[in-house]
Amino acid sequence: MKLNIEGLLVYFPYDYIYPEQYSYMLELKRTLDAKGHGVLEMPSGTGKTISLLSLIVAYQRAYPLEVTKLIYCSRTVPEIEKVVEELRKLMEYYSKEAGEKNNFLALALSSRKNLCVHPEVSSLRFGKEVDGKCHSLTASYIRAQRHSNPSLPSCRFYEEFDALGRQVPLPAGVYNLDDLKDFGRRKGWCPYYLARYSIVHANIIVYSYHYLLDPKIADLVSKELAKKSVVVFDEAHNIDNVCIDSMSVNITRRTLDRSQANVETLQSTILKIKETDAAKLKEEYRRLVEGLKEANVARETDIYMSNPVLPDEVLQEAVPGSIRTAEHFVGFMKRFLEYLKARLRIHHVVQESAPQFLKDISEKVCIDRKPLRFCAERLRSLLRTLEIADIADFSAITLISNFATLVSTYSKGFTIIIEPFEDRTPTIANPVLHFSCMDPSIAIKPVFERFQSVIITSGTLSPLDIYPRILDFHPVTTASFTMTLARTCLCPLVCNLRNPQHGAFWEGGEGPVIRNYGNLLLEMSAIVPDGIVAFFTSYIYMENIVASWYEQGILENVQRNKLIFIETPDAAETSMALEKYQEACENGRGAILLSVARGKVSEGIDFVHHFGRAVIMFGVPYVYTQSRILKARLEYLRDQFQIRENDFLTFDAMRHAAQCVGRAIRGKTDYGLMIFADKRYARADKRGKLPRWIQEHLTDGSLNLTIDETVQLSKHFLRQMAQPFKQEDQLGLSLLTLEQLQSEEMLQKIAQIAHQV
Amino acid sequence: MDDQGCPRCKTTKYRNPSLKLMVNVCGHTLCESCVDMLFVRGSGNCVQCDTPLRKSNFRVQLFEDPTVDKEVEIRKKVLKIYNKRDFDFSSLREYNDYLEQVEEIVYNLTNNIEVERTKQIMEAYQRENRDVIQKNKAKLTREQEELEELLLLEQQDNEQRRLETLQEEQRQLQAKRKNKQALLDELERSHVPATILLAQHKDRATQLENQIEKQKQVVKTTIFSTGIPMGQTVLLQPVARIAEVLYSYKPIEINTYGPPVPELEQLGRLGYLNHVRAAQPQDMAGGYTSGLACHRAIQDAFSGLFPPLG
Repeated sequence: MKLNIEGLLVYFPYDYIYPEQYSYMLELKRTLDAKGHGVLEMPSGTGKTISLLSLIVAYQRAYPLEVTKLIYCSRTVPEIEKVVEELRKLMEYYSKEAGEKNNFLALALSSRKNLCVHPEVSSLRFGKEVDGKCHSLTASYIRAQRHSNPSLPSCRFYEEFDALGRQVPLPAGVYNLDDLKDFGRRKGWCPYYLARYSIVHANIIVYSYHYLLDPKIADLVSKELAKKSVVVFDEAHNIDNVCIDSMSVNITRRTLDRSQANVETLQSTILKIKETDAAKLKEEYRRLVEGLKEANVARETDIYMSNPVLPDEVLQEAVPGSIRTAEHFVGFMKRFLEYLKARLRIHHVVQESAPQFLKDISEKVCIDRKPLRFCAERLRSLLRTLEIADIADFSAITLISNFATLVSTYSKGFTIIIEPFEDRTPTIANPVLHFSCMDPSIAIKPVFERFQSVIITSGTLSPLDIYPRILDFHPVTTASFTMTLARTCLCPLVCNLRNPQHGAFWEGGEGPVIRNYGNLLLEMSAIVPDGIVAFFTSYIYMENIVASWYEQGILENVQRNKLIFIETPDAAETSMALEKYQEACENGRGAILLSVARGKVSEGIDFVHHFGRAVIMFGVPYVYTQSRILKARLEYLRDQFQIRENDFLTFDAMRHAAQCVGRAIRGKTDYGLMIFADKRYARADKRGKLPRWIQEHLTDGSLNLTIDETVQLSKHFLRQMAQPFKQEDQLGLSLLTLEQLQSEEMLQKIAQIAHQV
Repeated sequence: MDDQGCPRCKTTKYRNPSLKLMVNVCGHTLCESCVDMLFVRGSGNCVQCDTPLRKSNFRVQLFEDPTVDKEVEIRKKVLKIYNKRDFDFSSLREYNDYLEQVEEIVYNLTNNIEVERTKQIMEAYQRENRDVIQKNKAKLTREQEELEELLLLEQQDNEQRRLETLQEEQRQLQAKRKNKQALLDELERSHVPATILLAQHKDRATQLENQIEKQKQVVKTTIFSTGIPMGQTVLLQPVARIAEVLYSYKPIEINTYGPPVPELEQLGRLGYLNHVRAAQPQDMAGGYTSGLACHRAIQDAFSGLFPPLG
């Protein structure tokens, strides 16, 4: 259908539209009009992706000069594929309706592992190996050497692409990863480099978060993207953790040993090169004396996105004299490594700030701040000069040099924690230096600065105001949308399994609670049809509980009703369990999947329809609060952003709980029970942090229930849901045709859906 | 790291966890007991390279690689002499060249390349730059200063935070104690049944809690990088433009009621200047000319000569 959204003609590829989709598009359009950033929360299963795509594509067509590109970031490869499929549908609709062939180019980009078509390279198992092998075949100096020595191996796909691929742009259309590979095979071009080359002129790019947030990758892939782009982070409820991870560095003894080996290789290579080709080192030296002018010019003319690992000061100055020649730099790295080794040789935990670290290092080994700051750039230059083919081997020393640059650049927002052993195994020495980023805004800052609109969206972003605070940006729209429903298809219940006569859990009153948990599961297994997913707070907790259920004979009773599957930390085992669980749901009495919040199952795996009729959340999924990194981060949040520890912990726990229970409802025809088996969920502070679409259905009557009451309510709900439900029931209420959408009354209703914050 | 050991007596860290390795200027390792044994007389030669050593120069080995220990030792010595700062140079380029030269010296000394010549260079430098070296000795480098400042700030922040939380806690404790005391007093004196008093007390207690809770939440609002405080809604519409007529300048007209006064430049030509004292050179320095006084006198004399009638 064709919609008119505040004067913008939007093609929507379906015959019906949900009211909240319309409302979502309205807000999105306003955000784009204002050229600002937005935070939008809409429940899963209400067609977020297609609303986003159809509006932004329409906007791009209407104002080609205002918005030139859509960058759609998602988390996993399956999600990327899903987005591309939706896009394909939209484009087909366009060409059908508009008649003309549109010249939109949309493509997905992933790692070499997913895109390589070279028969030998693509058969390697790990992403890192593929990258290393590819590099050893296609690096520029390797290819230069091949001119003189044609016997060296090469990648014919890359050669072909390099010879011909850049002249003709990729024909318009929608390409997912397989399409790119097919195209590459047909033409004999390398799909990976083709995709990377094509993103510059593509209208829509779909790729993973890391291509934009991880400074190392972003510098390679995304720095040339135009300023007038719209960036969308989908499923962004975890974006702060992604940002933090991309800036943090963990250094173990192993890393240091490997970098030691790297340094030795560097040293011997330098010696060798000095004998054979001293001019090369001289040339590099000359360049370093001149300074990093080229990079500076590029940044000033605003061609590239800035990179947090490459601070501005570095660009404006020349490399300090103390690390200018290759030998001196290697000696410098040696000293730095020895210093780190000495620091790791401790018997107690040390926590210090970056200035403290810098002071100590300048006292102990006379390393100043300035050369440290240039470390990453200097190493890159050296590796380039020495023409080392297998960059993958040098990941350890690169990591160390990044650490050096970061620690000397940012005096705030980072902390250094050195732990001599892991908390769980205090007798085994395994020293780790965590250089931990506590401020997610550092990694994401270039993105907000560079692009005109950044949209952060997910099914669970509540409370909305915390994201702008921790990411330090200023949104023009923050809105949460509810799900309009023809029937209440979700039923959140909070039950209290702790009787007052039981002691608190630290007094040994845990036993009865575990039994109550078991009874709840047993009762539910008797009344819920098909699949039940139960979430625990951690693997250890789950193991304990399952063990005591086994002793108490609860498991045996449950197994009379349903089969039981368990998630484990092992990915292969888990995917096996999932597969079998789904098989069991298809046949017979259904199954129960016991899994862990924050685990693989809780993120990204959907339990549509009969795969998940009930979700039970045992306990509140707080993160492990004893971790020093977390403590440091909480402290930082409190001091810098006035977010109290408790608020953040609750927020974090609730977003994971919401993610878990949200797995059950993946659309409006779907239905599911959401049982929160902990009375703490009834408290205002936790309840208020659930997404609005769940909160709305959480009435006072569904709080603090006993097991019997829970069973009663569930039975009632399930009986209601079992009644036949046709599309006609939804029409006009939660599903609209174009005529219905245009009625005055409906427009008024729609205005209420968006809940501005 | 457990396989580190003394090259002479072959004791390792593994066998003797309290083993202390020492290193001297030549960069060769010995364990503490071997040092005590070999250097009883206070000096001797290195077991490995025969360099004459003094016992007092032995230090605990900090790093796994003894050459790094040696290098750091040398570096500290060299940096004592080569202590010029970046502002001692006219350009960054020169400073960087200087840094490289220093690095070269350290490298040569560590790796025993042209030791004698390098030492001569150092001595020559020291003689030439004695003043600068003395002057810079006490000064910290700018970077060090910055670091010190940051550390100080950090410390202050921590201290302040600690005090604040302490005060806050004390205040809360006091309020609670007061509340409790009030309850006891009332129970003692009042004639109202105890249950009601207790209920009232409970009420007050929750109120107090709420207040504390609220206070915690009111703490400074976060300010964005844009300078806009958190929670404030921002209007997206452009600010309404206020249209006004532009101001235009009109020179003022003064009626002097007298004959027209000649222009300042014309005074000389018209001969007025012949009748006033010519300006002395010292007057001219301040910008005085004789025309100024003359002009003023004429203005005085002419104004008001034709007063308006009526």
